[in-house]
Amino acid sequence: MSDCRHEWAMCNLRSGYLVVEGCWECGGRSSFFSAEPVPPIDEYREGRHFWMYRGSFQTVKFDLKCHACGTIVNLDDVNGLMLSDCTDHDCQVGALVNQQGADTLVYVALCADSTHAQGKCVSSAGIEALSQYFNKNIEALGRKVLVVPCKLCNSIDKCRGTVIADVGLTDIQ
Amino acid sequence: MKISELVEKTGLKTINDYKDREVESVYISDMVSDIITSAKRNSILITLQTHKSLIAAANLVAAAMIVIVKGRRPNDDVVELATKTGIGLFTSDLDTWTFAKKLTKLGLE
Repeated sequence: MSDCRHEWAMCNLRSGYLVVEGCWECGGRSSFFSAEPVPPIDEYREGRHFWMYRGSFQTVKFDLKCHACGTIVNLDDVNGLMLSDCTDHDCQVGALVNQQGADTLVYVALCADSTHAQGKCVSSAGIEALSQYFNKNIEALGRKVLVVPCKLCNSIDKCRGTVIADVGLTDIQ
Repeated sequence: MKISELVEKTGLKTINDYKDREVESVYISDMVSDIITSAKRNSILITLQTHKSLIAAANLVAAAMIVIVKGRRPNDDVVELATKTGIGLFTSDLDTWTFAKKLTKLGLE
């Protein structure tokens, strides 16, 4: 574990589209970042999944770099952030939302695969860096954010919240 | 300059209860992905957007206030979230450029 009191700043900013796909067979959702001028809308089979285009929206991807120690945290596995409105006690995110005081909001870091079938989600290093970066902005105001990985949601596709996304601006359909 | 002073000098209409903070900069954007990567702490955000995701993004960058131009008004759930975060929500009948010019005359850039 690093002793550095990280001073995070955004780096490697790249603009593109977040393309969202749904599996026709299992109902799962997948997403990926595309830097192409026009986001791809192809349908294709991948293992047991048959992915169909659901929509796309403009987005910006970034990584975080510590100006104190030079560490770079790659955030390729973060496909979005959602402000959670969940209050379901049976959901770990909902339980966290219910535990927080009025000065804290819970944001869910969304990974590419809502099913988490392969056991992957946003890295713990990414969650920690995002949390430190955003809290640096607002802690002086007596406020806080809690960033958590989407694997804590019972079902991210049914979870209540506000996704920070420019939906609808450039949809092809 | 405090938000309250700016409101008085620009004729903004106040939408919610807010924390009266010092404003230090201005950022204009209608895209939340842009706001989250480019807006600064204690900034004034000028936008046409009225979606709840605007507040979710503004909170992360610690914006001080949001001015929604052309007389648009957000839904109650958006106002409620802004109030919870302490971010001031205001509306102006002016368009973005005309309102931005008012700010530059006050020395804000």
